[in-house]
Amino acid sequence: MDTFLQVVANGLLLGALFAIVSVGLTLIFGIVKVVNFAHGEFLMVGMYLTYLLTNRLGIHPFATVIAVVPLLFLLGALTQRFLIQPLMSARDDHIQIFATVGLSTALINLALLIFGADIANTSASGLRMPLQLGPVRVLTGQLAILAASVLLVVGLQRFLNQTQTGRAIRAVAQNRAAAQLMGINVNRIYILTFGIGAACVGVAAALIAPLYPTSPNIGTYFVLTAFVVVVLGGLGSIGGAFLGSLVIGLIDSLSGFYLSSDLREVAVFGVFLVILILKPSGLFSGGRLNLSHVSP
Amino acid sequence: MTDTSLVSNEPLSPAASSRRGAIAIAAILAALVVVPYLIGDQFVYHVFITICIFAALSTAWNIVGGFAGQLSLGHAIFYGIGAYAGIILMNMGISPWLGMFVGAAIAVIVALAISYPCFRLHGSFFSLATIAFLEVFRVLALHFRDLTGGATGKMIALKFGWEWMVFREKFPPLIIAFGLLLLTLAVAWWIRSHRIGFYLVATRERESAAKAAGVNTVKVRLTAVAVSAALTAFVGTFHAMYLTFIEPAAMFSLALSIQIAMFALIGGLGTVFGPLLGVIMLVPISELARGWLGAHAVGLHGFVYGAALIVVVLFMPNGLMGFLSRFKSQPAATKGQGLTVAAAPRDAERPPIGDPILVVDSLQKHFGGLHVTNNVSFALRQGEILGLIGPNGAGKTTVFNMISGFLKQDSGSVAVRGEDGKFHTPLAPTDFAAIGVGRTFQIVQPFAAMTVEENIMVGAFHRYQDVREAREVARETAHRMGLAPWLDAEARGLTIGGLKRLEVARVMAMKPRVLLLDEVMAGINQTDVRRAIDLMFQIRDSGVSIIAIEHVMQAVMSLSDRVIVLNSGQIIAEGKPHDVVRDPIVVEAYLGKEFVHAQA
Repeated sequence: MDTFLQVVANGLLLGALFAIVSVGLTLIFGIVKVVNFAHGEFLMVGMYLTYLLTNRLGIHPFATVIAVVPLLFLLGALTQRFLIQPLMSARDDHIQIFATVGLSTALINLALLIFGADIANTSASGLRMPLQLGPVRVLTGQLAILAASVLLVVGLQRFLNQTQTGRAIRAVAQNRAAAQLMGINVNRIYILTFGIGAACVGVAAALIAPLYPTSPNIGTYFVLTAFVVVVLGGLGSIGGAFLGSLVIGLIDSLSGFYLSSDLREVAVFGVFLVILILKPSGLFSGGRLNLSHVSP
Repeated sequence: MTDTSLVSNEPLSPAASSRRGAIAIAAILAALVVVPYLIGDQFVYHVFITICIFAALSTAWNIVGGFAGQLSLGHAIFYGIGAYAGIILMNMGISPWLGMFVGAAIAVIVALAISYPCFRLHGSFFSLATIAFLEVFRVLALHFRDLTGGATGKMIALKFGWEWMVFREKFPPLIIAFGLLLLTLAVAWWIRSHRIGFYLVATRERESAAKAAGVNTVKVRLTAVAVSAALTAFVGTFHAMYLTFIEPAAMFSLALSIQIAMFALIGGLGTVFGPLLGVIMLVPISELARGWLGAHAVGLHGFVYGAALIVVVLFMPNGLMGFLSRFKSQPAATKGQGLTVAAAPRDAERPPIGDPILVVDSLQKHFGGLHVTNNVSFALRQGEILGLIGPNGAGKTTVFNMISGFLKQDSGSVAVRGEDGKFHTPLAPTDFAAIGVGRTFQIVQPFAAMTVEENIMVGAFHRYQDVREAREVARETAHRMGLAPWLDAEARGLTIGGLKRLEVARVMAMKPRVLLLDEVMAGINQTDVRRAIDLMFQIRDSGVSIIAIEHVMQAVMSLSDRVIVLNSGQIIAEGKPHDVVRDPIVVEAYLGKEFVHAQA
């Protein structure tokens, strides 16, 4: 029983981690209508930034968000302005896939060029300390991720629902032309959204770096799961992404323990493919965002 | 992506430039063998073998990614299957020449199983699904150690000779790689210049218009995927023999999948020789970078790839082939399309109106709580022109969608008399097309990246398998529709009037017996309306029965033998045009009092 509780707890904590990586992706997905194939590489860039700031300058990993978040916001905004925006008028989204895939390839290899293939370990500063909570053992860093992911999800929801900018963002997501007629600068909203999406990854990076070894390919590892989560949760739905993350975390943890540790990915992707094929609009989507780009 | 280079560079284009193109391609291909042979250097051989392998992979990928527009990022699955099948069988003492076919067979089965569900997905979602499948295969290859050797990978039993596809020298593998490249190019060229190629591109450009033209879109895509997977697996088997060692991470690699797709994009997506060009451009640079800088600068060549991809996407979205085609002579200008509809002398005698050919019985359709059509029943008679009018939102297009198979009715039936004289109830758009129902779309749906001629050919292929015959029919139809001057222009360049006529031409090339016209006169000028009316009569006189949704009253009044008025999903009046417009119910519901005053 205790083992089961531990496995479930691990699953939920892993889910929180997926959530914190996925919220930015789902935001970009839902509003700019672009699948950012370089999202994982944004995370990787953020993790290397955290690594450099922590190990070279001795800053606490969490404190690095002050620098990492704005830098990633900038990276995201620049990507939208100079890579995606010129391609927005392309009828087909193939060209946008190529663009972000190209960015992803370039970033991975740039990291290889600068840091080499060796693993970079960010100093943990007490974040790998185990805590005994009843029958369950968790790491302090994992609890921090759980707390941060809840805060991020709630914060983003409130931002989108209660601020003027948030309302503008949602308006653009629902009907670009109508929003434009209402005097919203759509291009600026897209740049802002892409920036915020990337900034979310910055938060994730600072929290994940102390727990996971950083390597040029680390982004691929996380982002494939993030894609699963986003599709599961319903495109562009932040709450859905959170729920989806917890589900995927549990599937990952349970299948890893009861099936075979190296078949976890098969289970996760199996779920993904089944959902993608049977219900491409996602399990938890209330149809809040305009998904017209999904159907033919 | 709508690829402008698609058409003009193909062997289909005017003779002179295509001959020059063919000579250039032949020279490049010959150089792939001759240059390394003359230099004789091991590294040069290696570079050229790598070029052939990647060009073959990329060309095979392009059949799905380019022609069909399904951007697979999981093509390494088939490559990996070919590699593993080849090596596993070789270690059991079976020649890779046989192993190749085993690998290809497995790849085809896997490809069909994966693609059938995935083709429901579009754009990024399809790509994501293919990545997920690739990851699954990689993990499975790691997991089933007994078969695959797990993470340690598998070596080939070192047996030399042609029989085993393993050599001490570099020339024989070059010959094999070159042969595979030729095979892939030949297959790609064959597909692109035959019916299936037109169908693939048509499906990529406009799925619904392709269906209306009788294309079984699922079948053509699956065929493309199967062919592409088999070719990719062939290359995989050979490459494994060349590398002599394989492991899951390298065989089922996302990076490889991306690279293959990238070469095709850089060369020119959807063109036959684009991928080859892309590979020739990039592989030498990358191999040199790897050779010279590899030890010092890991990741440099990858960075170059990624950066090149971004640059091409931004500045040369149609790839090298598109770039090159800019230097070729431009097709006829597209000015003044509105003025040249061939004036149609009506000499044919009008055939008498006959028995019903299409019978609609109490069609019902709800969208949520909204009754879009309620108990709609009518019959179209042989040789008749039936006008379907009604205010916006009356349900006219919904009726069209149900009598061409694009929308399934909640209840009621649509029966069409076939050539055998019996009534049939087709279900899917393809079935409707097969029985002779052709339709146009209210919002024009041209295959934008195809020329006018090719657009019409897609329709003509419905009756004529042979390219030459289909082309002839297309030309003849284009002539009748006054589109002859723009045969070689891309459809995207036409004016709205030209596009409307193109839609009709495409349908007419299918030689339909029932023609459904959805507002073909909307947005064209007076002169064109008059000519279009003449054209309709001409079509009718050739024995085609027509239902036309139309708002241009002048056309409705002079064309229709009978008019049906639809309002809020119900038929409110039916009869001769002049009687119908005087019907008080119609006046009240639709035409407005002013119209009656004007008529009086």
